[in-house]
Amino acid sequence: MISQDVADSIQSYYKSKNEGKPNRLFLIFGVLGSALVGLGIILILAHNWDDFSRTTKTIWAFLPLVIGQLFTGFSILRNKSKTWKEASGVFLFFSVGASMTLISQIYNIPGNLSSFLLTWILLCAPLIYLLKSRAVAILHVVFATYYVFEYGYSVGSHTPWYYLLCLALIAPFYIQLLRQQERSNITSIFNWLIPLSITISLGAFVRPGDGDYGFFMYIILFGIFYNLGKMPYFQDQKLRRNGYLIIGSLGTMITLLITTFKWFWEEMAKSAVADTQTIMISSTLFIIALAILVYSYSKKWVKGFNLFQFVFIIFSLLFVIGMVDVTLSTILTNVFVLALGLTTMKIGVDQFHFGILNYGLLIVTALVVCRFFDTNITFVIRGLLFVIVGAGFFLTNYIMLKKQKSKISNK
Amino acid sequence: MKTLYVFLIFVAVAIVQLFVPAQMIFNRETVLKEGTVYKFKTRPVDPNDPFRGKYINLQYDINTLKTDDTLWQRKEEGYVYLIKDADGFAEATSISREKPDLNEDYVIAEISWYNKNTKEVGINLPFNRYYMEESKADAAEEAYRDAQRDSLPDNTYALVHIKNGRAVLADVLIDNISIKDHVKNDRN
Repeated sequence: MISQDVADSIQSYYKSKNEGKPNRLFLIFGVLGSALVGLGIILILAHNWDDFSRTTKTIWAFLPLVIGQLFTGFSILRNKSKTWKEASGVFLFFSVGASMTLISQIYNIPGNLSSFLLTWILLCAPLIYLLKSRAVAILHVVFATYYVFEYGYSVGSHTPWYYLLCLALIAPFYIQLLRQQERSNITSIFNWLIPLSITISLGAFVRPGDGDYGFFMYIILFGIFYNLGKMPYFQDQKLRRNGYLIIGSLGTMITLLITTFKWFWEEMAKSAVADTQTIMISSTLFIIALAILVYSYSKKWVKGFNLFQFVFIIFSLLFVIGMVDVTLSTILTNVFVLALGLTTMKIGVDQFHFGILNYGLLIVTALVVCRFFDTNITFVIRGLLFVIVGAGFFLTNYIMLKKQKSKISNK
Repeated sequence: MKTLYVFLIFVAVAIVQLFVPAQMIFNRETVLKEGTVYKFKTRPVDPNDPFRGKYINLQYDINTLKTDDTLWQRKEEGYVYLIKDADGFAEATSISREKPDLNEDYVIAEISWYNKNTKEVGINLPFNRYYMEESKADAAEEAYRDAQRDSLPDNTYALVHIKNGRAVLADVLIDNISIKDHVKNDRN
């Protein structure tokens, strides 16, 4: 039936496929194992062994570190497998933490958690590149975010400028991943991790007292994410791999819904002029978002009109209006959110996509629900509105289902 | 060849990774050996750190100072000048933005508040953490409370070595017994 050549190539194909698999499993277990051992050592040291002398403790402070370095050095010098490099890198990452932990205990160093985390991150950052280690890169991002949380959101918050350094340190690695391994799982992990980390961190860059401007900054940030996610590079991938688009879209909607409340604009009108830092960060973000949008247009990536891509510009205008007229901006924001919901529904209908259609309906519903909290509409009308929106859900879905069926039967 | 370069860079990184903790140790050892020893009256409470374990937080009697400087702000740092009384207890004489002369002892403290009316600043001394074995931290707080009830005054203090503005907390003592041993004795 088939020639020997074809049979051989099929066989070798399956062989190669099987060879890849246990390796990957081994890699994951190797990384998990060394992460657990490393964390375990830190926890054991956190017991604060009173009975050991200072010298014994000092030796213990360096022992895991040196072991980690020997393993890492060995895997670099012998050019060992990925598993070796990832596992030893992760172990070394945690042993650096363990070492600093123990010394802090021995000498009762008060230094707050944030500076401790920062030193730790920076000491381990080179490992990302020396070992080409994805696991250490993930740890880097997660710990950098943890640092922001400790430093930026605690009492008497400071601006965690070093977070930008941490991002800059990971940037070449991430860009390389995007270029060389577009479809691999690790890249999509980062496509979620990076925007998530930035979303968590941005709030720490808002000066206390500039809270309302924070909403503005977030809208622009989500505009950046959404427009990035709309680039063909991300757009052509599966939706679940496109963290930028999902975080951008959901973030925009949630933030916008908050700003449809009148109290938001009233608070804003009361608050003082924004801090220079807030203005600088907002305008930088705005320029980035605008640059991405213009670039997308120049590359003819944008097909048709998608209101979502312009949210950051329109909201900026609303923000300016809000400084003058609170009522007008409140009404306009509500109209704007309604328009967004309707366009989303239209896109859903045009593309025959039930997910998008219902997302649009959900936006409208959320808007209706929000309005129930701050308006004095009678219960009868509120009830009627709910019935109408609910009926809308049924109707639109039903009509689309019918259309789809007739389309299929026509074929 | 490339491997060798990567390895060499790694060696450099490894040295830095060793150097940073070693430097942390060295700095403190110098202070412990050469620094002046002060006693600070204090009060312990016990919190937690996710990586470094249990410690007792020390609230010192020295926590406010008179000052003529009206520009102090929260989270700023100032030089607190120290002198010793006859029993070796520390007294803070003044706070300043300027570094004192070499022969004066000082620590760098964080401002927690400034009161215009009383011309006072609240300060946090930088050696407010004392790490303890996890089972002992709670007991240490109890031991302190018990000691407060007895007759002796000034019975709880921290032993701090200070040199060139660098302070290392060596021990916390209740009735002249290390708090660690105190907890042990209580158990027996």
